[in-house]
Amino acid sequence: MVKFWVLHGIKNGILTTKYPKKEPTPEEIPLKSVPPTSVQESNWTVGKELCPTGAIENEANIDLGKCIYCRRCSDASFFFEDGTKSRKTALQAKILQNKDANKDLYAAFKTKAKTFQKSFHILMIDVGSCNACNIEVLNLANPYYDLTRLGIFFTNSPKHADVLVVVGALNKAMTNVLKQTYESMPEPKFVISIGACAISGGVFKDTESFVSPVQDVIPTDVIVPGCPPTPIQILEGLLLCMDRCVKGQETDMIKSKGET
Amino acid sequence: MIPNFVIQKQVAEINTNVQISSIFEIDGRTLALLSDIENRKTILSDIPLRLGEESEIFLKDVQPGHQIDLDMGGKVEGYGIFAFPYGPVSSGVPESGGFKLITYGERIVKIIPQINFKKRGIERKVIGMQPNDALLLIERSAGNFSASYSTCFVTAVETILNLEVPSRSKWIRAIAIELERIYNHLHVFGRLSEAATQNVSAAETHVLKERVLRINAKYFGHRYLFGFNRVGGVSHNLLSKEERRSLLNEIKEITNKFSNLVTYFLSSRIFLDRLQNTARLSNQDALKMGAVGPSARASAIEWDDRLTYPIEPYNDVFVDLKTDEEGDTMARTMVRIHEIQSSVFLLEQLLDKMPVDGHAPSKLDVSSERYDEQASFSFCRIESPSGDLIHAVQIDKTGRIKLLHMRPSSLVNWLPLAKSLEGNVFTDFQFAYESYGLSYADSDR
Repeated sequence: MVKFWVLHGIKNGILTTKYPKKEPTPEEIPLKSVPPTSVQESNWTVGKELCPTGAIENEANIDLGKCIYCRRCSDASFFFEDGTKSRKTALQAKILQNKDANKDLYAAFKTKAKTFQKSFHILMIDVGSCNACNIEVLNLANPYYDLTRLGIFFTNSPKHADVLVVVGALNKAMTNVLKQTYESMPEPKFVISIGACAISGGVFKDTESFVSPVQDVIPTDVIVPGCPPTPIQILEGLLLCMDRCVKGQETDMIKSKGET
Repeated sequence: MIPNFVIQKQVAEINTNVQISSIFEIDGRTLALLSDIENRKTILSDIPLRLGEESEIFLKDVQPGHQIDLDMGGKVEGYGIFAFPYGPVSSGVPESGGFKLITYGERIVKIIPQINFKKRGIERKVIGMQPNDALLLIERSAGNFSASYSTCFVTAVETILNLEVPSRSKWIRAIAIELERIYNHLHVFGRLSEAATQNVSAAETHVLKERVLRINAKYFGHRYLFGFNRVGGVSHNLLSKEERRSLLNEIKEITNKFSNLVTYFLSSRIFLDRLQNTARLSNQDALKMGAVGPSARASAIEWDDRLTYPIEPYNDVFVDLKTDEEGDTMARTMVRIHEIQSSVFLLEQLLDKMPVDGHAPSKLDVSSERYDEQASFSFCRIESPSGDLIHAVQIDKTGRIKLLHMRPSSLVNWLPLAKSLEGNVFTDFQFAYESYGLSYADSDR
């Protein structure tokens, strides 16, 4: 029996992704998980009307926190798809919160991230999601993504957690629970909100039970746009909290800080 | 086109083999949707029914907008009895939802699921929306059942609007549903292995699940099959023969691997000990409480919407149905393992016999001309991965949604879970919970 599993393992080979040492493959980030990019400036108003969540603000800017990647704008061919360009936009959007951020804030973020450089424990809290984000976070533990190789572990108690991963559109029943969970975590701590629902409410932003985006209730450090984001994109967000950015990502981050 | 149901005037008394599936309130009229298990028929009744005590509790829960409290009554008090809350931030269960556990020593005396932490109010929100806009919300009510949800809703709307949908689109929808079933069943098996700390089994199964998700992304554009469905057609056509053949080959490779490995996984005595005899649900209880899906089939209820309420492609293909009489966690697991195989067999037929006619319309204007006042209401039943999913839709003159009632599969399976856990030890909770394949998002939409 034991012999079988050893041989089986050798036959399977290494499945784990090369990320973060190498760029993720297109298979790991499928087309509907990268945002559409605008090119045809004349038609952006039509795209704006089509957008169900109001993510298209003007001809140059798509608010990725609101985008649910439904592809209505690109299906109507007002936007075009280019994998490389779109991915860059997604990376820049990671630090979109604290819109009037300055260098002090960024320095504070950096020092906090330095403390977690080796390892941390994450706790996932679901505040009203559709279960897709939950499964994507759970998928991080499978051999394809293998969270533990990066020193990241799941925990079940807020008292042991360093990073709080929030998924879902915040509703009334979970608001106090979220606050209590956040308060019972020891300092220093990070909060990552995952998916359009947690960042802006997504499609559920007008429902009766929706309270507010997560960053209005507890201070959020990193956002990971997507509906749902792929495990690689979630991993990117987690690595930001570890100050172990991928090559090239760092400069993008600073740039987006400086611009806004 | 004739609406796909008949309103039966008289159901004098519900006999034991009729299951109450759902209750709709339409224009002040109360309709009950019943499943005649013996004759494999769906009955829509509009007269008040005589119901037993459990049925009444169940009916109260399936009403839209009702505050869900699954306490079945009866106080439990005494020396040595402990009640402790579990959740909403809890270990083991990845979603936010709670349980009130009442235990005596190690044994569970009673368990009260609390599933009102995730309310989003989708059914109220979609009122007055265009069907295609509402679809965005509906497929996000339960992310891992999104293909079933969107197909169910879209089919009901198409019946009302009298739309002629290319049959190819319907076949593609069925392919998506079967892919969804495969990855959900693999997910359940992986979670069960995790609960038993069978790490090799869990890792291998999750690898296979991830590969199915990647196949979804490759052929349907999205890992969780969002956004491929729309009223009047689908956005992905699976055009070329090579594309279809490679899809089948990839999925066959995955499932063959799983069926080879599963014999090794289940040869572990420790694993089997946790599954066998855990959370046994008797046939009578399953009938009375309205259990659906693999959990019902594991308790010898022969009901599968693909056979008993077939929408288009399922009439032309062979569905292999498996039931089990044991009703324990092992039986539910075996039914799921068998269903993975039968889904692959279905996919083989679907991809092979797929009709060539008609491309899905890229743009659809849902005009109110086709609207028929008489048939403004329709419903649809789809066998989602964890059971029978019902959508009842009513559309007004302008083509907007007037009423939507969703009866998800998970919602009705909470009571059977609670019932079957009585008398089990507390550590078996995880196995029972995972084997039912329940989702809080599915229940509290």
